[in-house]
Amino acid sequence: MIVLENISKEFNSKNGKVKAVNNVNIHVKKGEIHGVIGYSGAGKSTLIRCVNLLERPTEGKVYINGVETTFLPLPKLREARNKIGMIFQGFNLLKTATVYDNIAIPLKLLGYNKAEVQNRAEKYLEIVGLTDKHKNYPNQLSGGQKQRVAIARALAQEPEILLSDEATSALDPETTDSILDLLLKINKDLGITILLITHEMNVIQKICDHVYVMENGHVVEQNNAIQLFTKPTHSTTKKFLSTISQRNLSPALISQLHVTGAVTRLTFVGESTGQPLLAEVSQRFNVKPNILTANIIELKNGIVGNIVIHLIGENDQVNAALQFLEESGVGVENLEGQS
Amino acid sequence: MSRLDTFINQWLPIIGKSVVETFQMVGISLFFSVLIGIPLGILIVLTRPGQALANKFLYQTSNLLINILRSIPFIILLFFILPFTKFIVGTTIGVKGVIVPLVIYTAPYIARLMESALLEVENGVIEAYTAMGIKTRSIIWHVLLREARPSIILGLTISTVSLIGATAMAGMVGAGGLGDLAYRFGHLRYEVDVMYATVFILIILVQSIQSIGNRLAAKLKKD
Repeated sequence: MIVLENISKEFNSKNGKVKAVNNVNIHVKKGEIHGVIGYSGAGKSTLIRCVNLLERPTEGKVYINGVETTFLPLPKLREARNKIGMIFQGFNLLKTATVYDNIAIPLKLLGYNKAEVQNRAEKYLEIVGLTDKHKNYPNQLSGGQKQRVAIARALAQEPEILLSDEATSALDPETTDSILDLLLKINKDLGITILLITHEMNVIQKICDHVYVMENGHVVEQNNAIQLFTKPTHSTTKKFLSTISQRNLSPALISQLHVTGAVTRLTFVGESTGQPLLAEVSQRFNVKPNILTANIIELKNGIVGNIVIHLIGENDQVNAALQFLEESGVGVENLEGQS
Repeated sequence: MSRLDTFINQWLPIIGKSVVETFQMVGISLFFSVLIGIPLGILIVLTRPGQALANKFLYQTSNLLINILRSIPFIILLFFILPFTKFIVGTTIGVKGVIVPLVIYTAPYIARLMESALLEVENGVIEAYTAMGIKTRSIIWHVLLREARPSIILGLTISTVSLIGATAMAGMVGAGGLGDLAYRFGHLRYEVDVMYATVFILIILVQSIQSIGNRLAAKLKKD
């Protein structure tokens, strides 16, 4: 559906050329939700703008639905853009137009007839749950409501793809959740493919099938969401993960615990979350597991559990216990203390 | 009472004529100034580096032209462009003769006020409409100008008031008007009453224009 192939984008700045995006590949299949996460300045905004060619990539190719759009002439590009909706952090609504007109005006400008404009405006206002606000002006709405109007505006073009540029970054956590639920609903009910960028790990956690971690213009790690949450490899990914669950014990504490036994992070995915494995371990082996931290992360496509345990016991018993856990399908990662 | 009657009988026709002349000058030159100033304002916004029709040459040329015209005080401009005025309207005197300098004085001013009004419109909205595949022409009309309407109205109000000020100097080329009346009768012939009456009318005029402008802008703003 969306294919970005070896995309690079250079900007000329006072200090010479700056490569905002560096050789990035992205492939979003129809009906999936993919997320790009990174700190500000990582190049994600530029990257998402390459999809609808608000930015022309310096190198690389963009394919939408199998058709290369990188160098389309303007009239053809406009047609292609009709099939790609976009929502923004700042909502970008007309301040001088009512909620209804904010949806109706673009449709009119795209040449739809009166009846169709009204039909669609009403339909999508209902989908985002703002039918009763159609006569209000944006300044009379809350941030979440404004984003709903923007989503309705994007949906009213009946796009196949929705691009979301930090759409929840200006919203409080509760409103963020409700907007994410709405995006999930759109994805399920209307089958719209979504590519989003964010700096919030909970956005990725809640709705993404596949994740790209971006830093300094590069994608430093990418994986499906469950794999990324269970087996992060890059330090930036680990940093982002620690924003939603406490992952790190201090090295000093770990060293202290190492005296009496191993400190291990166990990651449970899917089925293994249901089994009382720790109880079994303490029965079978001569070890006493002590839970230091524990959390559970609900992803779009599954559940990931995370426990850091202190396994108190003799070395051979501890190792046997860890091997048993690994064989039972649990991710085992030994945590090292101060060296 | 009788003194007021005499004053009214003696001066009303003259003041009335001046009011009409002022309205004519302001009305006609405002019309042409808007016709030139608004497109010029749009041009310098759109040809700015990084904008939809970025064009360094066009941008810098129109910028320079506006600055040059805005540097010349109206009284100087009036005489400075006499040959040009003659070429355009065939005369350099009367209401007709003063329209050209008034337009050349006001249009660049309107262009600058338009520029600042249009730059207030958030780039994000324009980006959103570009992303929807809407034509640049439609974006200019239905996004840029629409969103800038309150500021445009306020800008036009300011230019109208300054235009009224400029018409006071129109007397120099025999175009009449309220300013000329106050100067010729009030100042040169010590008819202080006439001066007061004229100034009073000008105050009322400017006040009403500003109030109408403010109200219209507030109504369009929807905050």
